[in-house]
Amino acid sequence: MKLLFWKKKPVEDQQQLKEAYFTASQAQLIRSRFKNNRTAMIAGWALIIMILMGFFAPFLSPYSPDIAGRDKEYENGPPQFPKFWDENGFSPRPFLYTTERERSIKTNFRWVLTENREKRRYLELWVDGWEYSFIDIDWDLPGEMFDFELKALTFSTHLFGMDKGGIHLFGTDGTGKDIFSRTLHAIYTSLAVGTLGVLISFVLALIIGGVAGYFGGWIDSVLQMITDAIRTVPPIPLFMALAAFMPDTWSAETRFFFIASILGLIGWPTLARRIRTHLLTERSQEYVLAAELCGASSSHIIRKHLLPSFTSYIIVDLMITFPYVVRSETALSFIGLGLTDPVNSLGSLMQNVSKADVLLNYQWYFIPVLFFIAFVLAFVFVGDGLRDAADPYSQSKK
Amino acid sequence: MLKFLQFTLTRFLLSLFTLLTVSLIVFSLMELVPGNCAERYLAFKNTQGQSITVEDIAAEERRLGLDKPFPIRWGTWVGNVFLKGEFGDSCILRLNINELLSDKFWISLGICLAALILSYMIAVPMGIYSATTKSAVANNSIRFISYLGLALPNFLLALIIMLISTIYFGESLTGLFSKEYRDAAWSMAKFGDFLSRAWLPIFVLGWSATAFAMQTVRALMLDEIGKLYVTAASARGVFGRKLLWGYPARHAMGPVVNSLGFDLNRIFNELPVVALILTLTESGALLIEALARSNDQQLAGAIIFLLTASIVFINFVTDIMLALMDPRIRKGLVG
Repeated sequence: MKLLFWKKKPVEDQQQLKEAYFTASQAQLIRSRFKNNRTAMIAGWALIIMILMGFFAPFLSPYSPDIAGRDKEYENGPPQFPKFWDENGFSPRPFLYTTERERSIKTNFRWVLTENREKRRYLELWVDGWEYSFIDIDWDLPGEMFDFELKALTFSTHLFGMDKGGIHLFGTDGTGKDIFSRTLHAIYTSLAVGTLGVLISFVLALIIGGVAGYFGGWIDSVLQMITDAIRTVPPIPLFMALAAFMPDTWSAETRFFFIASILGLIGWPTLARRIRTHLLTERSQEYVLAAELCGASSSHIIRKHLLPSFTSYIIVDLMITFPYVVRSETALSFIGLGLTDPVNSLGSLMQNVSKADVLLNYQWYFIPVLFFIAFVLAFVFVGDGLRDAADPYSQSKK
Repeated sequence: MLKFLQFTLTRFLLSLFTLLTVSLIVFSLMELVPGNCAERYLAFKNTQGQSITVEDIAAEERRLGLDKPFPIRWGTWVGNVFLKGEFGDSCILRLNINELLSDKFWISLGICLAALILSYMIAVPMGIYSATTKSAVANNSIRFISYLGLALPNFLLALIIMLISTIYFGESLTGLFSKEYRDAAWSMAKFGDFLSRAWLPIFVLGWSATAFAMQTVRALMLDEIGKLYVTAASARGVFGRKLLWGYPARHAMGPVVNSLGFDLNRIFNELPVVALILTLTESGALLIEALARSNDQQLAGAIIFLLTASIVFINFVTDIMLALMDPRIRKGLVG
């Protein structure tokens, strides 16, 4: 109660609020409790921004994240921040200096980047650049019948760019690829892997946990024994074993689907167990008996009566599982068994960081790592907030 | 007492069943990796200048028993593992797996257990405090630090600590032993040397495990604190730490003990990555070596099986411990 109206309101308002509270639906209550959790709200906004950044990655990134978008003149270049003024005066349009690359006897025959402070380059909005499609499905799975191509919503407009030369907000890597563009695309890939993995494990958990919980008895015992056995195997070593026989010849898309399915196939037992426990307690309730007496079929009861009774718990569980799936993907990619370099995932970007050379000389390689940390933290805090909000007893505890 | 024995026996049989299922999974995985031992052995001979025919491979398969159907091969493998504790030879390294693993496995297990203990030593008091404190700042900062352990990639943490120590203290923390002790027999001095290096992986593994442990402790404590027996106890005049530790914490610890095995499971997950960065020569690194570099299915299978077996063992022990700890279960079993 205290959480719902944290400011003292006039009496009639309080009366209205009280009525609103008692007539509110479960979803409304959860929403209002979540809104009052400031940490979770901040995390939620951060998450939404990051998801949007991932989704609109091609529009926001000035360069293609693959080798086609590399800047040959600016390899291992530090981040460039557009400026409004310098000692030569103010400019209403943000600008960058022109960098020149030099290799001669003076520089000990190494490429050295120098800034020409006299030559300014200006930032431009709505630039025409490399072409991208929001719907770009090009499955090249093993077997001809699974091949599928679809391209739609093709654009070539980008939010910003430079009139001459490049702009690299997060710097560039060893081959001159723009780290800003790569990070945005990596967020998208990691989100996609996580979503696919969580979905697969969710469906499996729903079926197995649902059957075990609804029928109970020996079916439950057998399924529980199997679930427990699978739950004891440490997943990452198992991922590694599975990922090891992934042929090198597979395309990036195939690897992506394979990794996501492995993550999903191994992640279901915990969720299945929870669904089972919920079902076991719910199915002895009287409303289930009433439905049974009316002649409803098992699948009807599961779908229409039992599942809605804990949808919120399932959503919360999925939110909590998500960062673990993303983490597994990064761990796999980091070892070199997941998605590898030409594909942009947060894990493959982090792989570049693991060298001492990078830590000492090219610190901007770490920017994707910061995004990863923020990503996982945001998910964990939102998951926590949702769990507290979905728990109908959380108010009496505080 | 008889009931207790019966309970122990059921648990034991259940664990055995779990192990059998796991062995089936592991064995199927080993079989899925392309190429078999016969081909490997002969491929090696091929590099020595002998020419190999298809008949040679078939003969070699017969010699190794690879021509037998899958259930029989699985049965032999399981029989050897369970009865003799023998994992056979690795075809790639052509070495006995037991000899290869022995020390390394125990060291990894020790590091992981130490990390587990460390994580609970932090998670239990912090989780209880976070569940009961009224101060939002303290609560949020505790949660933030523990979740940072989850979000901060552990390889990064290890890398940064390692580099700082190399640059500022001029001492490299990689590996588990310094040069003079690497091949020496176990002694107090070697153990001391081991401890002076093992703290880093223990710390890195422990921190990331703390996040999850604390989430569990906090959620369980929140569940218990609202219950009526706590109100009743405080009405009787029990308060402060005595109330907290004597009533809700005791109840919350049950599920925590129960989940110890799965926490160990989570730590094993992190082990390969940390091992890779710190170039530890224990089984986590060996697993990467076996899988990522050389497709050594026998070695990989043995390691996964051993890791899982230790989790199953811990689950068995915690089940028994829980039965003894919880008066409700104990009454029913021991009488």
